Amino acid sequence: MDKVTTTIDHSVLVNARKASRKKNLVSFLNKIKKNKAAVAGGIIILLYILMFLIGPIIAPYDPFDVQLDQKLQGPSLDHLMGTDDKGRDILSRILYGSRLSLGVGISAVLFGGTIGTILGLISGYYGKWVDSIISRILDIMLAFPGILLALAIVSALGPSLINVTIAVGFFSIPMFARIVRGSTMEVKKLEYIDAVKTLGANDMTILIKHIFPNILSPIIVQASMRLATAILSAAGLSFLGLGAQPPSPEWGAMLSNGRDFLFTAPYMALFPGIMISILVLGFNLFGDGLRDALDPRMKN
Amino acid sequence: MTLFILKRLAQIIPVTLGVTLVVFLIMQMIPGDPAIILAGEGASQETVAELRENLGLNKPLAVQYTDYIKNLLQGDMGHSLKNNQPVFEEITARLPITIELAFYSILITIVLGLVAGIISAIRPYSFMDVGLMIVALLGISLPSFWLGILLMYLFSVQLHWLPVAGWDSAKHIILPAVTLGAGGAAIVARMTRSSMLEVVNQDYIRTAKAKGLKGYIIILKHALRNALIPVITVVGLQFGSLLGGTVLVESVFAVNGLGRMIVDAIRTRDIPIVQGGVLVASLIFVFINLFVDILYRIFNKRMDLN
Amino acid sequence: MKQETVLEVKNLQTYFYSSEGVAKAVDGVSFTLQKGETLGIVGESGCGKSMTSLSLLRLVPSPPGKIINGEILLNNTDILKLSDEELRKIRGNKISMIFQEPMTSLNPVLSVGEQIAESIRLHQGLSRKDAWEKAVDMIRLVGIPAPEKRAKQEPYQLSGGMRQRIMIAMALACTPDVLIADEPTTALDVTIQAQIIDIIQNLQKQLGMSIIFITHDLGVVAEICDKIAVMYAGQVVEEGTTDSLFEKPLHPYTNGLIQSLPKLYEDQEELSTIHGTVPSPYNYPIGCRYAERCPFATELCRKKQPELLTIEPGKKVRCWMYSKEWQGATLMEEMTV
Repeated sequence: MDKVTTTIDHSVLVNARKASRKKNLVSFLNKIKKNKAAVAGGIIILLYILMFLIGPIIAPYDPFDVQLDQKLQGPSLDHLMGTDDKGRDILSRILYGSRLSLGVGISAVLFGGTIGTILGLISGYYGKWVDSIISRILDIMLAFPGILLALAIVSALGPSLINVTIAVGFFSIPMFARIVRGSTMEVKKLEYIDAVKTLGANDMTILIKHIFPNILSPIIVQASMRLATAILSAAGLSFLGLGAQPPSPEWGAMLSNGRDFLFTAPYMALFPGIMISILVLGFNLFGDGLRDALDPRMKN
Repeated sequence: MTLFILKRLAQIIPVTLGVTLVVFLIMQMIPGDPAIILAGEGASQETVAELRENLGLNKPLAVQYTDYIKNLLQGDMGHSLKNNQPVFEEITARLPITIELAFYSILITIVLGLVAGIISAIRPYSFMDVGLMIVALLGISLPSFWLGILLMYLFSVQLHWLPVAGWDSAKHIILPAVTLGAGGAAIVARMTRSSMLEVVNQDYIRTAKAKGLKGYIIILKHALRNALIPVITVVGLQFGSLLGGTVLVESVFAVNGLGRMIVDAIRTRDIPIVQGGVLVASLIFVFINLFVDILYRIFNKRMDLN
Repeated sequence: MKQETVLEVKNLQTYFYSSEGVAKAVDGVSFTLQKGETLGIVGESGCGKSMTSLSLLRLVPSPPGKIINGEILLNNTDILKLSDEELRKIRGNKISMIFQEPMTSLNPVLSVGEQIAESIRLHQGLSRKDAWEKAVDMIRLVGIPAPEKRAKQEPYQLSGGMRQRIMIAMALACTPDVLIADEPTTALDVTIQAQIIDIIQNLQKQLGMSIIFITHDLGVVAEICDKIAVMYAGQVVEEGTTDSLFEKPLHPYTNGLIQSLPKLYEDQEELSTIHGTVPSPYNYPIGCRYAERCPFATELCRKKQPELLTIEPGKKVRCWMYSKEWQGATLMEEMTV
């Protein structure tokens, strides 16, 4: 008799939890709407995604079409952003390049975020020696300054955009793992998780179905911040000639190429730089806004 | 306190070992046969075999690693594949330049960041504050290599005030140091501002006002000292980004430091040089973090009991 | 003894402006303080007593708070009309304050000696060395052993009781005319509370200052105050000498507060409590603010706000029962029996 009642109680608790989660999501979205920085960042990101989707369609020229007689022309009505040293239309290259620059950033964060989240979940949920081992590994990864870990990986795998994606993703693993580990340890303590356990759920189900949805918000905030860093790092590696190779219209690579013409055609370095900066600004604004909306300490 | 330092020292031993392991593994991560790839296309079988022997690649992994550590302890980081110079000598030739650059950059990060953060916090939401915070937001969003190019275009190409590249005089240091320090300054400014705003709402600031103290004394003596504590950690972490950033900034301004050495070595697949460079930069970072932690502890011990 | 008014507060109004509306935290408070006198301001939390005390030093957090009306006459100078510079010279010098939270009211990164000495240097122009010596003297005066050693320590090295003594030493370092003590003992253990109150009383005798003692604790007030002002919902509802107030409370709220005190020599089945809740400062009723909780409230009470009536010199009450308009005089007699 006793057992039956507790079971009922627990499933009620679980359902109530699910309902409150939905309510939380709605109020979370409302909070974001009120945050000007998050809205501004969101709009910027949406515009870039639009460019990602339709950029190549609306591009006026073939981004790889070499027209040496048209080279190094300043911005004009024919070429809104001018042409580069091989006479290619910079605007078209920028539009095509959006797929590369944004794509690398997103793939890297997806890669690093997934592995980091899994490590963080395991580390936070199981604790004890599992946690110690994972935490030590993360400490080691964090001991490498800035993009040097990514650089070391590229040095081994060889220069290419895919390797840059792997390398940048790899070096965002510890940031995700840390955040997820902390949140998991908090959620794990909730009475609701005990209830699910008594209902007979196994660890896998608990982690995926019950803990993960509850720690999504910090992961999203982290993802937004990491996207900014990942795009900067990937562009940086391409700028160094370790990522996208010519004639790729990746923005970092275009910037690197433009640097050689700083005296004669400064706009070649200008436009790719502006595109990277605004994109990164968008993710930073969005991440800032999200964090403020989530962090009750910052509430006004 | 001594106990804390000893504990912290003990903690960095596994981290240091881990770092050497990762750096060691760089060579093993090369897809395929490292010896063939490193010898380059068209190398003869003898060359490949010789290289394999020199790098110790035919020994078991565990032996290779213990050899690597043994050599490291004797200051032997291997030899460059290009000119057969000892890696250690290559690094000691380049390191002082990077340290000098990093020193001026962190100075810019701290001074610029603190001043901007304090000015912002004195009158929050004022014209000045909003302006500074927009600049700071740009500061964390602009790629350092692009900022470097912009500054170079403005001050070297257009105004001819500063040299384009190189590392010969004090004038050469300005642009790279500003480029490298700007991002950190932006982060420190944001942190200082939010920390100050939190502190000025504390009870002890009200006490200071109730005593009749002058406004600037309240800010500089009572608020800032407390607000700086969390900023210390941020500055420590900034050192990491800064050391990594030397790779980009040294390339932009053609500064012959450790960062540029690593990049050039990656292009030519001179893996021992890459390993040495990454190892040294990481160990510097590990020890700076240790120092910052101790510093934080010294400043923060007073809050332990609250 | 000739009475000499040190502080006179007239119709003080401090409002808070927020998105929810205007909170009338202090709404027309008046009182006077004589030289050497101790005035207790009593009331529940949220009644505006702390905001009254912060208003006296113009320390109300602004925004959102603002003193919108009134006069605060310290030795006949209106504090509200002073320039920032003039105000600074009075704060900590002529009028000083002890706060509720000794744990957080001291700066954690400065030695306590320095925190006392800086005030002395500022207001009395003493040299660094002389100010330090005076600070050590003050620490000795508030009864902390080994003052030379303690002065060099930082707040985290001191207990809560000691920190509050340091606060007192700091507040009294420049021998102010008025000391405001805002619940100085609330955060402390009972035994420490008694010590702190003893110290304050002793120093008052030695230094001859006037004290405004703010508390929710009627017991403490009965022990140390000459005069009491009872506050409710941003207003003074009753004012009188301590003896008269305890022997013959006029306002139903005062009566309720006294009834809810545990009595030492009487058998009580249970402590009586005041039912209902304090009205929101954003939305006070148009009539008497206590009407909702008052057992004697009539139609008149709910419709119109009572004035603060002077019953006899030094005795005031804000209640319709003592007005000419009051019809149910019989009830009053029942209540005061």
